[in-house]
Amino acid sequence: MAEPTHALSVLLDDDVFALNRAVGVVRRRNLPIASIAVGPSHIPGASRLTVMMQTDDAGADRMVKQLQKTYGVREAELLRAADAVAREVALVRVHAPAEVHQELTEIAELFKAELVDEGPDVFVLQVAGAAWFILSFIRALERFGIMEVARSGAVAVRSAAPPVPSSPTSTSATETVL
Amino acid sequence: MSETLSGAQILCRTLVEEGVQYLFGYPGGAIMPFYHALGDCPELRHILVRHEQAAAHAADGYARASGRVGVCVATSGPGATNLVTGLATAHMDSSPVLAITGQVSRPMIGRDAFQETDVIGITLPITKANWLVQDAAELADTVREAVAVALDGRPGPVLLDVPKDVQNQKAEYRPKAAARQPSPTPHAPSFADGVAEAARLIAAAQRPLLMVGHGVILAGAYAEIRTLAEQTGIPVITTLLGISAFPECHPLHLGMPGMHGEVHVNRAIQQADLIVGIGLRFDDRVTGNTAAFAPRARIVHVDRDPAEIGKNVKVTVGIAGDARDVTRRLIEAVAPRRCDAWWEEIRGYMRVRDESWRDGLSPEAICRALFAVTGEHCSVVTDVGQHQMWVAKLFPYRRPNGHVTSGGLGAMGFAVPAAMGVHLARPDEPVWAISGDGGFQMNMAEIATMVQEGLAVKMAVFNNGYLGMVRQWQQFFHGKRYSCTPIWSPDYVKLAAAYGIPGWRVERARELEEVFTEANAVRGPALVELVIEQEANVFPMIPPGGSLSEPIETAPAAAAT
Ligand SMILES: Cc1ncc(C[n+]2csc(CCOP(=O)(O)OP(=O)(O)O)c2C)c(N)n1
Ligand SMILES: [Mg+2]
Repeated sequence: MAEPTHALSVLLDDDVFALNRAVGVVRRRNLPIASIAVGPSHIPGASRLTVMMQTDDAGADRMVKQLQKTYGVREAELLRAADAVAREVALVRVHAPAEVHQELTEIAELFKAELVDEGPDVFVLQVAGAAWFILSFIRALERFGIMEVARSGAVAVRSAAPPVPSSPTSTSATETVL
Repeated sequence: MSETLSGAQILCRTLVEEGVQYLFGYPGGAIMPFYHALGDCPELRHILVRHEQAAAHAADGYARASGRVGVCVATSGPGATNLVTGLATAHMDSSPVLAITGQVSRPMIGRDAFQETDVIGITLPITKANWLVQDAAELADTVREAVAVALDGRPGPVLLDVPKDVQNQKAEYRPKAAARQPSPTPHAPSFADGVAEAARLIAAAQRPLLMVGHGVILAGAYAEIRTLAEQTGIPVITTLLGISAFPECHPLHLGMPGMHGEVHVNRAIQQADLIVGIGLRFDDRVTGNTAAFAPRARIVHVDRDPAEIGKNVKVTVGIAGDARDVTRRLIEAVAPRRCDAWWEEIRGYMRVRDESWRDGLSPEAICRALFAVTGEHCSVVTDVGQHQMWVAKLFPYRRPNGHVTSGGLGAMGFAVPAAMGVHLARPDEPVWAISGDGGFQMNMAEIATMVQEGLAVKMAVFNNGYLGMVRQWQQFFHGKRYSCTPIWSPDYVKLAAAYGIPGWRVERARELEEVFTEANAVRGPALVELVIEQEANVFPMIPPGGSLSEPIETAPAAAAT
């Protein structure tokens, strides 16, 4: 799909029903989704769900309001991609006969990728970064023969200095706009 | 003080504790421990329906008429899936229904056991919340939470799925402590500024309208809406689910808007410079094409659910709050005014349509006679189709919340079972279920429930021999090809006799009053068939996706032959 425009960040109860309900709300919008990631948050008992997706600000606002009233959801906000820092991790199993070890190691260094496991003729490399960075890494490995790729999907937080007034998650529809 | 009880007993106790009096349900394998425990619980009256869909609709009807939670019970698998239409109906129309389903025992879950269905998964998008109860020790609190969630804020259905072994499991039961702390509605924005702004817009408007919906009924804001209207002279439009939120006979009442709204109502919307919408969601059946909806109007939107504000139409002022609270504050903030010139203009839009009806048996005549007989305390529960629109527009509702129908989902088969619930909520008032010949045949098996349980529901069937509303669309939009819409009916008088209830067939308008009087007077259920003109249409009509400015007022010439 094309570049995601928004990062949806949802803090929800740490149970599979809350997760199912939240994802259901997103699914019903029928919008292109680039990735979904879920894991623990900084609050015990709460998970963080991150969905990278394409929408416009009005659609984003509607979806956030639907999520905010969903049972099991504690907080929901949609960050414009420009206002967020989004990163993911990828694990790549790649063919690695002895004669290419040197070359693979150089590429890995270039991308700050880590060799997390190795066997006869196989490297497992771990790389982290923005989606475009991971894609470039995968592309650089393609000619060696990729056996498997697993990507975590992006997690995102608000950038260090976000433009607060134009936050797309404000309930603009409920404010007086004359 | 605590005692050790089975999960099933805890379920019964907690329901009683929550003030539940009626359960509409149907037993089966996975819910048998609960039915066993029910035998020791005389406080709960169980109504044995003939299909679980009817249990959900009946619970919905009870909830809408009483404002309390309506409860339905089913077994796992087919019992649970049969509830789905009723839950979807309650979800679309914001009705607080609690569904309790049996589930296969925990060790069997996920193994495609006999009558195992993932009812949690199936009902996720059509409930406010649902729970698979994993432990009898959690059951009491889960029931309390479920009832609270169903009623809190914008009401809606919830479902508890209780595995059979959890129903049998022993656990400590503690009665409810003190009164429940109402959980704060999350993200409720303050609306003080919105009210002041709305009042300013109302003062400045030349052509204001009040549009009221189901939220007014849910909040019981009848007196407040009336005061606001009388203080300002603003014409009041009631949406399909807003009907009976404002007296039909009131001089400020304008009518129903939208697809089958009268021409003058829709024209008023198109000319309005301000629409104050309270407790409605600007559904597409109300707005038609939103791009062409109320092009001159600014919109003030008041709703309990912040997610509704700005969802379908652009609003100038959005106020998230209870219809009653907000209307009270509007009354304080708005200066008295009149709308005489505007009313003059609207009167110019009004017109009389005359249609010929065989032997005068028109919807007007039917509604007039029924009202004359039943008086102002009557509740009317309608099904879905042409009769629903006619009755919505023509019955002179007086009783607040006297009109109950399936609006958002438009579920045929709703009226007969829902009327059973309405009857139990209002046992001393007449309750009429009005259906078409199609929808009536979907759930007419519930006559047996009425007889067995002694529920005095009166039923009227508009028999036009067609799935009339679909036939009308075929006539208008499909070159009059009446594909699969003629529908045969049994002899309803004999059907009534087979169930042991009185039945009448009415073919002429002059018989109406006498028959309605007799049917209304019998102590139990009664059935009246109204043999109406077969190819009558509901006019006017805004074609689907069309603009409110372009109503169809006669059958298209090409197809009218
Ligand atoms: C369960 C269900 N199935 C199908 C429809 C589509 N539908 C809407 S109105 C209608 C015709 C209803 O016919 P009838 O009950 O005879 O009422 P009439 O329109 O003739 O008054 C149909 C089939 C529906 N609303 N609900
Ligand atoms: Mg019909």
